[in-house]
Amino acid sequence: MKKRIFSVLLCMAMMASLLVGCGSSNDGGDDAKSEDGGSDSGKKVYAMVAKQAGNPFMEKMAEGFTEVVEAAGGEAIIKYPEEGKADHQITAIQSLISQGVDSISVAANDENALQPALEDAMAEGIKVNCLDSKVNADSRQLFVNQAGVDEIGQALMDAVLDISGGEGQWAILSATSQATNQNAWIDSMKEIMEGDEYSKLELVEVAYGDDEPQKSTDQTQALLSKYPDLKVICAPTTVGIMAAGKVLQDEGSATKLTGLGLPSEMAAYIGDGDDSSCPYMFLWNPIDLGRLGAYSAIALVNGDIEGAEGETFDAGDMENSPYTITDAGDGGTEVILGQPFKFDPSNIDEWKEVY
Amino acid sequence: MAGKSGRTIAHTQNKSLLKRLMCWESMLVILFIIVNIYCSSLSSTYQINNVLREMPKYLTEVFLLLPMAYILVMGDIDISVGSIVCLSATVACILGNKGLPFGLVLLVGLLTGALCGLINGIIVTKFTELPPMIVTLGTQILFRGIAEIALGSGGSISLEHAEGFRMLAGRVGRIPYILFLVLILAVIYIIILSKTTFGRKLYAIGSNKLAAYYAGVKVQKIRLIVFTLTGLMAGLSALFLTALQYGVNTTTASGFEMNAISMAVFGGISTAGGKGRLQGGVIAAFIIISLRVGLGQINLNPQVILIILGALLILAVMAPNIVEQFKLMKKRSSVK
Repeated sequence: MKKRIFSVLLCMAMMASLLVGCGSSNDGGDDAKSEDGGSDSGKKVYAMVAKQAGNPFMEKMAEGFTEVVEAAGGEAIIKYPEEGKADHQITAIQSLISQGVDSISVAANDENALQPALEDAMAEGIKVNCLDSKVNADSRQLFVNQAGVDEIGQALMDAVLDISGGEGQWAILSATSQATNQNAWIDSMKEIMEGDEYSKLELVEVAYGDDEPQKSTDQTQALLSKYPDLKVICAPTTVGIMAAGKVLQDEGSATKLTGLGLPSEMAAYIGDGDDSSCPYMFLWNPIDLGRLGAYSAIALVNGDIEGAEGETFDAGDMENSPYTITDAGDGGTEVILGQPFKFDPSNIDEWKEVY
Repeated sequence: MAGKSGRTIAHTQNKSLLKRLMCWESMLVILFIIVNIYCSSLSSTYQINNVLREMPKYLTEVFLLLPMAYILVMGDIDISVGSIVCLSATVACILGNKGLPFGLVLLVGLLTGALCGLINGIIVTKFTELPPMIVTLGTQILFRGIAEIALGSGGSISLEHAEGFRMLAGRVGRIPYILFLVLILAVIYIIILSKTTFGRKLYAIGSNKLAAYYAGVKVQKIRLIVFTLTGLMAGLSALFLTALQYGVNTTTASGFEMNAISMAVFGGISTAGGKGRLQGGVIAAFIIISLRVGLGQINLNPQVILIILGALLILAVMAPNIVEQFKLMKKRSSVK
């Protein structure tokens, strides 16, 4: 009997603490919420949810995001999930909704998994955009895309033209044959190649290294032995370009390399001389990506844009400002950062430290 | 029950009120109250409606805590539950996208979990010399592997018809369905463990398997039941998790097994078996949830939150030992 009474008492104590602990702050909390947009501190709060902690690319992005938000007089919250998984991003987003932030910018670990959480956020009046890697069209107002397919195709094609000296054989070393982004870039390059100035170039083969270092190495060696006159290999994948860079440099091959690569991994192969295999390559600039994410979030919160196609917004001193929102082709809208960023011998030492 | 038969067992002996106050569960209740007051002092947004809104994601782990407590009490362990959640969720999503009726999807999701649990159970009971840790480590990899194949190259499936699952993630007023379900199930599990012969048999198995066997407890049958039940609960967790993210991916629910085990251990359940009460585990679960929500709201670095939770767990496990040693020292000095 005694025990039962005791258990009941314990339960009541727990319930009471829930109500008292949370309830007592309720009044203060409601006030804070109603003052949110205005007098409390007068600051708008812009949150960014990163893909994972300890990722230099994300940290640079967060740096750009914070810089722009603070310059605009806002408060930036950078939320790193416990692990780089969509599961943990959901709890991060839920927590931000509780805090009543004005906008959430997310670099998603999964295209669809965040939908319920982000829908909750939008239902609470929070503006949602995504950057770096997108969420589906229903869960966002705007996607800040690092580089459009055509921009990447154009940059790579021009690089091939430039490095080959305007004519000769060249080959592509891709990831897997089903990779959507790879195929989109390759198709775009083939389309651009139909132009007159590229007529002396001959694409001899598209090889697939499956984003595995060993297979990419083997494929590179196979290309070299099959086509002795090969001028350029273009590898639009970070794994492929690194494997190819090592093969070409080790063999002292006359074939040169370009593509999309991580500066930290490619620094050893980038150089102007004959002993370097890669004159220059591309990727996007994470800091600018973060900055554009912040500018678009601010524009959304201020009501300057709603994320509809055709709207434009100002992005301070950024290169392509003002930016125009375009159709993303997935039922949603996007804004494209601009040209892929070029890494050459003049800036590689600085960037290899970054990511 | 034991009281009615006229016997008295240590578990049901009358204790003084002071002793009762000193038990681990009351410590946990006090800790729960402290944590809640602390969190609401930290953040003005730590309000009951926000906590209730953030809770469902964490509650999916509590589904696993309940059967995990049984397994630990038996002196066993199951580290494959996270993978079972992933596999059940995958099956449910695939069938849901095929356009099957929602009721059937739920049923198959639950059965997938139960089947996985049954496989675990059969292996550990037919090959009793195999340690359950190793067996479930194997099935952990196996189940997730199957899920990854089913998920295909994209590694993620999203629901095309989310209506049914959307309902599952619904709420009465501000209280999510899942909270009701967790509380009801927790009460049932606690009653079974502490008030029925089945529960008592679990303790017997955990204290001494051989002695329990010679006392007529069908040890292997009970282990098979509990492992299957664990799978079933993982299936339930999977359905709610799917409802919270409209889909499933290869990393879904990874690490859930360890979270469930740490809640149980924090609640005073010994991994060596035969000791602890589920009440403690449930309160501990709510302490951990409160801390995660509260510290999350002040945007503490997640790694710091992990450190705090880890330190808390170590302290919680150490506390009874320290008390024990203290008592021992007292006894020795009084003997002298």
